Amino acid sequence: MDERRTGWVLIIVLVGQLVYLAIQGARAGETRLEVFGLRLLGPMARGVASIPRSFAGAREEVKLRGTLLEENRELRREVRELRLRLLRVTDIEGEMLRLGAAVRYPTPPAGRIRAADIVYVDHASWLRTLVLYTGEQPARVNQPVLSPDGLVGRVITVAGPYAKVQLITDLAASVGGMVLRTRRQGVVRGGGRGSGGLELDYVPLQADVRPGDRVLTAGIDGVYPRGIPVGVVLSVANGGQLFHRIQLAPAVDFGSLDQVYLLEYPAVPQSVKEVRPGANP
Amino acid sequence: MQILKLLAAITLAALVHFAGMRLFPSFGQAVDVFLVVVALHGLRGNSLSALLVGLLVGLLQDSLSGGPFGLYGFADTIIGYVTARLAQRLVIQRATGVLAVVSFSSVLQQAILVALAFLLLPVPEPPSPLWAAVRAAGCGLVGVAAYVASSHWRRTAEVRRRGRMSKLRLG
Repeated sequence: MDERRTGWVLIIVLVGQLVYLAIQGARAGETRLEVFGLRLLGPMARGVASIPRSFAGAREEVKLRGTLLEENRELRREVRELRLRLLRVTDIEGEMLRLGAAVRYPTPPAGRIRAADIVYVDHASWLRTLVLYTGEQPARVNQPVLSPDGLVGRVITVAGPYAKVQLITDLAASVGGMVLRTRRQGVVRGGGRGSGGLELDYVPLQADVRPGDRVLTAGIDGVYPRGIPVGVVLSVANGGQLFHRIQLAPAVDFGSLDQVYLLEYPAVPQSVKEVRPGANP
Repeated sequence: MQILKLLAAITLAALVHFAGMRLFPSFGQAVDVFLVVVALHGLRGNSLSALLVGLLVGLLQDSLSGGPFGLYGFADTIIGYVTARLAQRLVIQRATGVLAVVSFSSVLQQAILVALAFLLLPVPEPPSPLWAAVRAAGCGLVGVAAYVASSHWRRTAEVRRRGRMSKLRLG
């Protein structure tokens, strides 16, 4: 093919891609090509992820065996303490359920969790991402992803046993959050590299927020349930005429993640989200 | 045969990328092995094949990245075409030439990605200039290493083939 025709092919391919990008931006969902690519690369990523991190890591593992006895003793003590604490918490939970039943307060479902292996993570670049291997039972789009420390993000693409996760530190991500101490609600957004990783927006200037305050999910976004740790307030500044400018440190250290948990939580149906005030049910 | 070689190169690039990311979390920022495959394929000089390979490899990379699907596809299509056109006009046989072309491809890719980010993303976050420079240097070095290795492999295969041919003639 001569260069003139190749030039036309280039223009057609580029315009086609631009249109595809624009349509995709308007729809904001997973695409078939993306699912196909993830299905193709997922097994390779999983294969590489199953290899030990390094020979140094393996040597470190052998060294660690020497300290296992001491660590085991420490963990047993911690388990005893946690069991006692669990007894107290179970007691309080039972009391709350009884009180809730007395005033007919509908308790939200707790939701089961299941583990998923991380096969690929890129938290350093500007297009952050995480790919999970979820096994035979596939994940669901918008399913919350947690670690023992707090909220990681939500599933955005599912390709068979593989799922791509949008991290909460992503610039396009947002989570309904609340300050634990004062119950003041706001919107947590990914802050990019410039901030501490997260920002809490739409908290009015008169609200009491201090560095060190813990921020949890508020359960108002229809995706995440209430009460999952999101981060800790790093700094509070005057962000303008109405709102604070609050920077948060994420509760999760994304650099050390190797396993996460998918929360089986029934998201608010789209039909309910889209209902207009005053419309007939 | 060419397609098989190309598929092997893409598979190898994916494996190197996954292994690199596992060992060094910033590997993806420092080196783009997928771009190296596109640029080296473009150096063969077939612009149509180069732009299609750029599209394919870019879309594969998009399925791993967190941005809108098609960002890398768009950028790598242009990279493939531009490198092929450069190879048609310039004689690039030395390692320094390959280093320059692959590094230039990396800079061009970053520029296209930033432009697309500003066009399509609500809050664009362009990569830092320092990391862009590191990435250009990293891609250039990996490109040279791959070019030298493939040239050496090709020469060795040619010598072996000639050896076999001369034995056949003598026999």
